[in-house]
Formats: sequence, C-alpha cells, structure tokens
Amino acid sequence: MVFKLNPSAGQPLYSQVVQQVRHAIETGVLRDGDALPGIRTLAEELVVSPNTIAKAYSELEHAGLLELRHGSGAYVIAKRRLKSRAEQIRAAQERVQKLIDSLHAKGFTEEEIQRMFAARLFYDLSIERKP
Amino acid sequence: MSDGLAIETHDLVKQYGEVRAVNQLNLRVPKEQITAFLGRNGAGKSTTIKMLLGITSPSSGTGSVLGKMIRDASQNREMRRDVAYVVEDKQLYAYMTVEQMVRFARSFYADWKMDQETRLLKQFQLPLRQKVQALSKGMRTKLALLLALARRPQLLILDEPSEGLDPVSIEELLQEIVKAVAAGVTVFFSSHQIAEVERIADRVCIIDHGRLLVDASLDAIRREYRRITLSFEGNAPPISPSFPGVQQVKTSGRQVALLARENADAVVELTRDLHPTSVEVTPVDLREVFLETVKEN
Amino acid sequence: MLWYKAWLETRARFVTSLLALTLFCGLFVHHALGQIRPEWKSDFHRLLYVTQEFMAILWIMSVLLVGMGGIVHEKAVGTSSLSLSFPVSRGRLQHTRVGVGILQVVVLGVVPWLTIFMVSVHANMPVLITQVGFYVALLVSGGLVYYAMAILVSSLIEGAYTAPAVAIGLVFLSVIILDSWFKRVSLWGFLTGAFYIDKKTFELTGHFPWLGTLVCIGAATLMLVASTKAVQRHEF
Repeated sequence: MVFKLNPSAGQPLYSQVVQQVRHAIETGVLRDGDALPGIRTLAEELVVSPNTIAKAYSELEHAGLLELRHGSGAYVIAKRRLKSRAEQIRAAQERVQKLIDSLHAKGFTEEEIQRMFAARLFYDLSIERKP
Repeated sequence: MSDGLAIETHDLVKQYGEVRAVNQLNLRVPKEQITAFLGRNGAGKSTTIKMLLGITSPSSGTGSVLGKMIRDASQNREMRRDVAYVVEDKQLYAYMTVEQMVRFARSFYADWKMDQETRLLKQFQLPLRQKVQALSKGMRTKLALLLALARRPQLLILDEPSEGLDPVSIEELLQEIVKAVAAGVTVFFSSHQIAEVERIADRVCIIDHGRLLVDASLDAIRREYRRITLSFEGNAPPISPSFPGVQQVKTSGRQVALLARENADAVVELTRDLHPTSVEVTPVDLREVFLETVKEN
Repeated sequence: MLWYKAWLETRARFVTSLLALTLFCGLFVHHALGQIRPEWKSDFHRLLYVTQEFMAILWIMSVLLVGMGGIVHEKAVGTSSLSLSFPVSRGRLQHTRVGVGILQVVVLGVVPWLTIFMVSVHANMPVLITQVGFYVALLVSGGLVYYAMAILVSSLIEGAYTAPAVAIGLVFLSVIILDSWFKRVSLWGFLTGAFYIDKKTFELTGHFPWLGTLVCIGAATLMLVASTKAVQRHEF
C-alpha cells in the first residue's frame, strides 16, 4: 500500500501509519493475509525512523490487525467484522458527499468546506485524546 | 551511568572568556534512536560535540559516551573506536586521494564494512584517484559521510551532515541514517534543517546560547504543541501569558493566538470565560516550535 | 597508517628539499672539482668545507620545512577535529610525525654527501669516507636540534604561516646570539665543522665529536618531549 506521511501535521508519524493501515484494511485495500514490508524495509522506503514503524506495527499488533512473524514480516489480519466496517465506511462516505453537495449548493467553496471540517475535527481530536 | 543512554552529560560548561558557549548542559541521548540537536549557528552544538569526543576539554561538568567518561583521555580514546563522527566543515586531508583517505580511515576501525564502502563509493560516484583538494564541496561532504557510513559503529555523530548537499544526496543521506538505526546504531545529529529533522528524528534537543531549552520526543511535541486562535466580537481582551502551559500570546486586532506547549484542551476550557466567538485549534510544526522557543529565550 | 599519513603530508617538501640539496651539492662540487688539480689536497678539502657551509643554510631551511605541519597547524587548515576524532592519542599523532621527520632529516643529510662522495670518485679525487661520515654526523646531529625546534614551534603556534615565520626568526636569533656571544657553543660552528677544521689541511680532525653529538641529541630530545606536552595541552 501507499503511505502518505505528513511530518508537520501535529500528529505523531507512527499514529499516521496506524491510521492509514486501519483505513486501508477497512476499505479493502489491504486484505486478510496481505504482507506489509518488514520494519526495516518500510522505514527505508518511507525514510522515517525505524522506531516509528516499530511503534506503529506494535500498536497494530495489539489491536489485532497485524501479525508479526519473526523473520518473515508482517501480515494483515482482516476479520469478517472489519469487512462489514468497510461497508459502513462506504455508507458514511456517501453521507459526507451529500453534506458537501448541500454546502456547495449554499455557495460555500471547496476550500471553505475543507477548512470547516479540518478545524472541527482537529479540535475534537485534540480534546478527545486527553484521558 | 544508565544502560539505555548513549550520551549523558551533567552540567557541562564551556567558557571562552566572558562567553559561555555551553551552559549547564544536561543531555540524555537514548540508545538506538535518532536524536536531533537543533540550534542556531553559534548555539553551542559543535562545541558540545567536540567536548564529547575529547577534542575540546570542558570548563566544568562531566559526561559519558557509551559508558566511558569523556574527561578521561584514555577512556575517551577507547570510546572513539565505537563512534563515527562527521566533522562540521567536512575538511579532509587535501594531500590524500579519495582512495588513500578511505584506506586511512578504514585502518582504525574494526566495525568497518567493506560491502558498505563499495556500495557507497559507487552510489556517491567518488573518483578514487582524485586528490581531496580537487574535489567539489559536495563531493568532499559525501566522502566525509562515507567515512562514517561505511561503518556500523555503536554511535554515529553527525555535525550538519546535509550542508552543501543537493536534494537527491540529502535523500540518500537520510536513507543511510535510517539503515544505520535499523542495524542498531544510535544516531545523534546536529542540524538547522528543520525539514530533515521532522522526517526522521525520534527525539529533539533544542539548544540556544548554550542552554538546552527543549528535550522531548518528536511524537510528544507533535501531540502537545497547539496553536489556539481565539476570535472576539470586539477588541481582544488582554490575556496573561502566565496561563499554565502557554508559551506565547500574540494579540492582533480582534484575534489572539496562543501557543500552548501542553494541555491545550485545558487552556481552551479556561478561555471559555472570555467568551470568544470562535476557537480554532491547529497543529504547530517543528519550525514554529523552534522559532518560538528560541525567540523567547 | 599514521606513518603513511605523516609521509604523505611531508612528501612534497621532503622531495623538493632532497632534490635541491643533492643537486646543489653535486653541481657545486662537480664544477669546483673541475678547477682543482689533484695535487692541491688542502684546496680540495677547503672546497668541501665551503660546500658544507653553503649547504648548511639550505640544510637548515629544509629541516625547518620538514618540521612544519602537525596537529596544531591542522587547526588552521581545518582538519584538526578529524585527526583528533580518531581513536589515537595526541602523543601517538606527534610521535609518528616526529619519527617520519627524523628519518627524513637523516636521509636529507646522507644523500647529498653520498652524492659529493660519488662526484669526487668520478673525478678521481675521492674524499675519504671517514671525512664524509664526520661531516654527515655533524650535520645530522646539529640539524636535529633545528628540526626539534621547528617541531616545538609548530606545536605551540597556530596559523598557517605564523609558525614557519617564527621558526625562521628563531633560527636567526639563535645564530646571532650563539654565534656572536657564545662562540664556544655555537650550533652553527658545530654543524659546519668549524670547530674541528684544521686550518692548514682543511680536514676535519680530532676524535669523533661524541660529546657534541650527544649534547645536540639531548637538546633535541628535550624540545621534542616539550612539544608533545604542548600538543597534549593545546585547546582545540
């Protein structure tokens, strides 16, 4: 899969990796049994610290999404329930699209809509993170 | 002496007459991680590194690298066997050829890896029989880097490694650093290229006027630092910068921008009493953290 | 490989000096020999003596040249941090440089005189090998003192051109002071054989100057030890 990491986004890189792998599994880009590059390989490919990848893989392993086989790499675990999650996501994406269309109709530009979402989400995320 | 630390200093000081180039420095550089040493020119980065390697002696304070005391000449010398160092201005012996320079460096280190030497010579396209004085600055830098990267030492210290390199070479350099860490090497590099640091560093130490101002993991910095922008109906009320966790307050017309170093959500809650019309919380990148931290000092 | 480095560092200076000295001696003696008849024994020896005097100037310059460099000089050039980062002690850095230098000083003394000897053989007026040995011994042991002085100066003074300038200055000073006020301990006199020259035959006479040689080597050693201490204490 393709990773898009943003070092300036205010989110730890390992967390971005975890998020993107989750998303890939949920949307079917990664399927059960697919192999992800080893920690060293992925770190070299993305040019990020191996500790970042190690942390990400460790978290994914604890979440039951990744199986780390010593020596042979990392394998995706995509259970049935996650597949239906993919469907949930598709439905949600349709709702988001409808909302965006209605905001367009009200005269808001793409940029304004994006800013609204980003500001709101970022704010919620940063509040949410505190235990 | 801690097990997990590659470099440790206690109140390290270097005084040149009236000026303290390094001022009560307490460094903690963990093993097998990439720690970046950020600072302006003249902030004390190179002086610190020179003290660690026994090139300069501290005015006071102590330190250890890989468990060996830096102020003890023979311990320091022993430690240098396991440390690879890339000098700040990448000067090498002008009278040697590339080949002679490589052979010379190789003779000192048991951790030299011939396959890496061959690979890097080819990758950097270094002309073996050319004298160092005839090399361009970029070539010389690459040769200086090769002398360190053709090894698998315990610790790799790089002083402004990407200076004078083109973007492609910088990318290659970062990849080599990542490769080294994956093989168990600890990396400590000083830089003022924020973009590179943001990409690969696990930890960041910000130094200014010889003092350590920030010493944190990059993950923590990304999670904790927030810019909070408050907008008001009328003119923005004065906000005391002594709000807990707030590093800086900037007022401009009807808006106030706060830089929160931690507990952004608590700060947001506190500002509710001021009845802002909108509250925006946005991320802060390392460049801003660096600039604001250094400005404040 | 530190010996190799010291060699590479001084190679150009050494080879240039060697060529200059050898050519000078060879040509000077060859030309002059052509003017002398084999019967004029004393003139022949006088010629050798004169050669030695001229050569001594070149010699001292060469020896100073070869003694320049070192880790303190490297600071001016920018490579001192590199050299000091290798897992070798400052003492070892200094010793290898001095070791190579001493060998070079010996070669610089022996080769020109061997040339003189060969030229004289070719002209059928062979110099006694003992005379050659005598001159070489004086030259090298006297030269070692100047070499040690050059090493000491280059171990104390930073700056690419300051060190050689100071070294040359010191040589002039020592020549003036020692030669004019303390004639008995004049290094110049010793080195050129002035102390041992028979005024009539112009041959070096007397016993081999063990004492003088030992004093020179002693002085040189002291200065070399001091130079190592200086390097160990230097702030880089």
